[in-house]
Amino acid sequence: MTQTQSNDFDLTTSRIIKAPRALVWSAWADPVSFAQWWIPTPIKCKVVAMDLRPGGSFVTEMSENGGPFMPHLSACFLNIAEAERIVFTNALVDGWRPAAAFYPTPLTATITFKDHPEGTEYVAHVMHKDRADRDRHEELRFHDGWGTVAAQLAALVEPR
Amino acid sequence: MEQYSDELSGIFQALADPTRRAVLGRLSKGPASVSDLAKPFEMALPSFMKHIRFLEGSGLIRTHKEGRVRTCEIERKRLAAVEGWLLEQRALWEGRADRLEQFVTRIQQQVKPK
Repeated sequence: MTQTQSNDFDLTTSRIIKAPRALVWSAWADPVSFAQWWIPTPIKCKVVAMDLRPGGSFVTEMSENGGPFMPHLSACFLNIAEAERIVFTNALVDGWRPAAAFYPTPLTATITFKDHPEGTEYVAHVMHKDRADRDRHEELRFHDGWGTVAAQLAALVEPR
Repeated sequence: MEQYSDELSGIFQALADPTRRAVLGRLSKGPASVSDLAKPFEMALPSFMKHIRFLEGSGLIRTHKEGRVRTCEIERKRLAAVEGWLLEQRALWEGRADRLEQFVTRIQQQVKPK
């Protein structure tokens, strides 16, 4: 698959995971497994929909401190290649319907799984449309329970 | 662009460690000597110095030596130069990759007991 040229709002993260590709794939593609790592504990993650086919719905919710489940990710799969690739975007929802809102900014994520001598090469390439606006940035700090590194970082980065 | 990513990775790595974050947190209040910075940590000085050098290498802090005392200071310009929003997104995805790796490793150990 061709990848468009990266820009300032793209990011790539990769890991060599010492496990067979089929196992890494199932950790992603099995909703019960997925819910166990997608969001950091103690926040609970619920996979509402994971319809692994182009146009299929991909929706997760999160619950903090035993509270009600709140929207987390609302997306649509664009491309699926069994044990090789997952592409999704939050700019669309179930059946390619344009999303009413996307959080925090429109993104397309391409997840690839490749065989590696030590196990599996896992790569997440995420393309963002633009920077999140100021208000969304404020919300973002609390998104995903990302209250440690990012919050401290933001506190350090911001001029005082 | 590649260089920008590398820079970002370096800064992210520097911030990914609790000791280094604590040091930055302390230095955000003002300059401090290495020995003062090291006090709260149960760590040998050479190990602690590795963290200081890592932070210095990433450009997040600068240090200077006067006599026997090495003083550290935060490089605020460097921190301000970081696109906070993208860094947070990166942190989010790095965290996900870490947790996936831990999850898979744990499952594999259950499947293949030693």
